[in-house]
Amino acid sequence: MTDYGHDLLFGTFVTPSAQGAGHVLDLAVAADRAGLDLVTFQDHPYQSAFLDTWTLLAYAAARTERIHLAGNVLNLPLRPPALLARAAASLDVLSGGRLELGLGSGAFWDGIEAMGGRRLTPAEGVRALREGIGVIREVWDTDTKGGVHHRGEFYTVDGAKRGPRPAHEIGIWVGAYKPKMLELTGAVADGWLPSMSYLPDGADSLPGLNARIDDAAVAAGRAPRDVRRLLNFMDAGPASSADWAEQLADLALTHGISGFIVGGDDLATTERLAAEVAPAVREIVSKER
Amino acid sequence: MTNEVAIELTLGELSLDELTALTRHAEATDLDLVVLTGEDALLDPWTTAVWLAGRTERIRIATGRPGSPLPAVAAKALASAEALSGGRVLVADPAFVRLPARSTDDVDGHAPAVHAARRERRLAHRRPGIAYDDLPASLAATAVEPGDPAYRGASSTYLRGGSPGLVLRPRSATEVAHAVAFARGHRDLPLGVRSGGHGVSGRSTNDGGLVVDVGALDEVEVIDEEHHLVRIGPGARWKDVAAVLDGHGWAIGSGDYGGVGVGGLATAGGIGFLSRKHGLTIDQLRAVELVLADGSRVRASREERPDLFWAVRGAGANLGIVTAFEFEASEVDLVGWAQLVVVVSDLADGLRRFGEVASGAPRDTTVFLVTGRPQRDQAVLQLYGMVESADPEVVIERLTPFAEIGALARQQVVLARYADVMAIAADVGPEGHRGYGEPVTRSAYAPRLTPELAADTAALLDTGLVHFFQLRTMGGAIADVPADATAFAHRTPDFQVTAMGADRTGLDAAWDALAPHFDGLYLSFETDPRPERLHDAFPPPTLARLREIKRRYDPENLFRDNFNIDPQEGPHD
Ligand SMILES: Cc1cc2nc3c(=O)[nH]c(=O)nc-3n(C[C@H](O)[C@H](O)[C@H](O)COP(=O)(O)OP(=O)(O)OC[C@H]3O[C@@H](n4cnc5c(N)ncnc54)[C@H](O)[C@@H]3O)c2cc1C
Repeated sequence: MTDYGHDLLFGTFVTPSAQGAGHVLDLAVAADRAGLDLVTFQDHPYQSAFLDTWTLLAYAAARTERIHLAGNVLNLPLRPPALLARAAASLDVLSGGRLELGLGSGAFWDGIEAMGGRRLTPAEGVRALREGIGVIREVWDTDTKGGVHHRGEFYTVDGAKRGPRPAHEIGIWVGAYKPKMLELTGAVADGWLPSMSYLPDGADSLPGLNARIDDAAVAAGRAPRDVRRLLNFMDAGPASSADWAEQLADLALTHGISGFIVGGDDLATTERLAAEVAPAVREIVSKER
Repeated sequence: MTNEVAIELTLGELSLDELTALTRHAEATDLDLVVLTGEDALLDPWTTAVWLAGRTERIRIATGRPGSPLPAVAAKALASAEALSGGRVLVADPAFVRLPARSTDDVDGHAPAVHAARRERRLAHRRPGIAYDDLPASLAATAVEPGDPAYRGASSTYLRGGSPGLVLRPRSATEVAHAVAFARGHRDLPLGVRSGGHGVSGRSTNDGGLVVDVGALDEVEVIDEEHHLVRIGPGARWKDVAAVLDGHGWAIGSGDYGGVGVGGLATAGGIGFLSRKHGLTIDQLRAVELVLADGSRVRASREERPDLFWAVRGAGANLGIVTAFEFEASEVDLVGWAQLVVVVSDLADGLRRFGEVASGAPRDTTVFLVTGRPQRDQAVLQLYGMVESADPEVVIERLTPFAEIGALARQQVVLARYADVMAIAADVGPEGHRGYGEPVTRSAYAPRLTPELAADTAALLDTGLVHFFQLRTMGGAIADVPADATAFAHRTPDFQVTAMGADRTGLDAAWDALAPHFDGLYLSFETDPRPERLHDAFPPPTLARLREIKRRYDPENLFRDNFNIDPQEGPHD
């Protein structure tokens, strides 16, 4: 039994389809109106059928009122960290503190190279992400005097201005599966954001992966609960909302998952998640805790 | 060309609230362009510009290029902002005349100068060869030209970007006749006819030409309660039609997406969830009224101009602009509406099994399939469709064989009104359509879904050339109608097949190789521009008869934006 005790977040995973930009926005607005906590978009800039996720986040943030937004996850190799940090802080300010930063180390290197990005080995990708997170936190740190100076293995920043100061503490959530990425997540991230369908043994993989993050957090002088655990689901769960809620509550109570992000691009699912499933999960979890 | 005049807002000089308030005030004052400057301010200008566009409806926001060192990423950001905002986010042109503002008084003070410049610029943006000033006053009141703020929404369609020289938006059949007369005077320019703007084969936008958009003719009216006769304007959406008819307990089957317009679908065919039981949409059609190329307004039905009525049902885009359709609706009670996600390890086998189950199902059951590139030794089949029965047991019985095609990953089955299913489609917002580029699609009829076709389809999907593959199940009542009864001649295939990709040449080559499995095509989903496709859409006797009718009704070939039958080609008698 693992439960890190976070309040529960429910959200959607919307395909950023370029041909259906109107529908993408409708899904984001519907999630907001339905009272969900999060709307997220994958980021594959080299995929011609998709919108630019950063631009989509900014536009969707403007069209919504309460919901938080995140890339799920943003492609760091194509989004240099100092610029991304400034854009993210800006959007956090503009939206009244509603941006979270999902980050990935990059996976499809052919596509990344085709867009002008630099091809890295997986190990380099992990080091670049760790370095990038450092740069991002530097830019957000407006209490320190002077510009940001950074000369690292992958990134160089020469006296960039700090800020703007984010409107809230933007969570950095990392999509991680392999040991080195999990270690990075435990050491420096605020959240872990994998997809259920990529876990080798489904939910049975969670204890082992969680443990790696916990160990890394402790080794870095943090507490395991400093890293929120979220999970993407490509589709809606069982047709019975009660059954679906049982499943999610079990993931919360047994594996400490506190963010449930559901794909499917379907208005009915969005509404069902918000109206039927989320309240039922919250009720079960609060009873058990 | 006169330069655009813009209100200039400087980041860093204004608070966030002022920034939003001044942009909104400029919009309310009917100004149409704001430039954001202040590159060295803290707020990222690109993010702020996109945000401001999201907080407004009509005004355009210009700023510097998106902040990325990678040109491909910046270009994509620009294209995406354009798609999301309806073309309202742009890169500031150094030639803009900038009028700085720090208060609403500043904005008000600049307004007269901006308005005067706009009048001049509107003239400057006009395209050659169009007699803008000869437009009758009735049409001029609603027409949109390139210098107008409404232009972005009126120039693109659901799936296409375009840049027509003039979009006419008639509000009555009389005005449609005026619009046709105007178009006749511009015979050398492209002409697009638009109803709902969901055309795939139909080029309802163009570059530098005219568009006649009959979207305003969107009335849905019951004219004979006893005989279920309904009169519908071409601009109505099928979701609106369904909502009105639902009040009477009726429905007219259309396609699978309620956002589609009546005009384009009801002149081409209409393969939908009710077709196996009630026939195609055109099979419910009893009469049409249309404006012909010579500007005359005529009615066609089985009794009046039966040749024209025959031709409109399958090739209507070639003959005129339909201004009203009269349909006989069917009584439709609750229906079972199903969305199933089935995972199979062998795509070819999954497709083959779907083929068997879907075409073997009773007429009350119509299920369509969508899939994409298979991943990691598994393919995800999305099955969605209708069982025309209000009895849950029948619904479950009909759907069970579909659920057993593979591992059932998700199922959603409800009893619903036909209108509820149509209502799932999103509305087109006040900004109009946002399509850009050109869709790359192919279409075909599969007489049978043979194991060979399934195998070749699976191999094609493996290549990644097709990211969206769709099977619409036919059969049943569609095949009850003889091939020569309407211009829609392909009555007997089991499936209509659609493939969408991104690479025109690659998709065409791969799709051409599948030809032995196919017999003809449904024109609505075909975008291959090669002329041979016309012969796939219309078999020889149909094409010969259509050409003869075209020669009589549109000898100058005015209507030619969708599977054009050139009256000059082919044998003359
Ligand atoms: C998301 C989606 C789903 C679809 N699903 C189905 C389906 O399930 N079954 C099916 O059968 N089809 C389906 N279609 C195809 C659809 O029927 C055609 O694209 C149709 O042409 C769209 O009609 P429209 O009025 O919205 O399009 P428009 O773009 O307005 O028109 C398309 C073309 O139709 C012609 N046209 C339009 N109005 C008139 C008129 N008043 N008089 C004469 N000609 C006219 C013109 O040639 C025009 O270029 C679908 C299309 C889309 C985009």
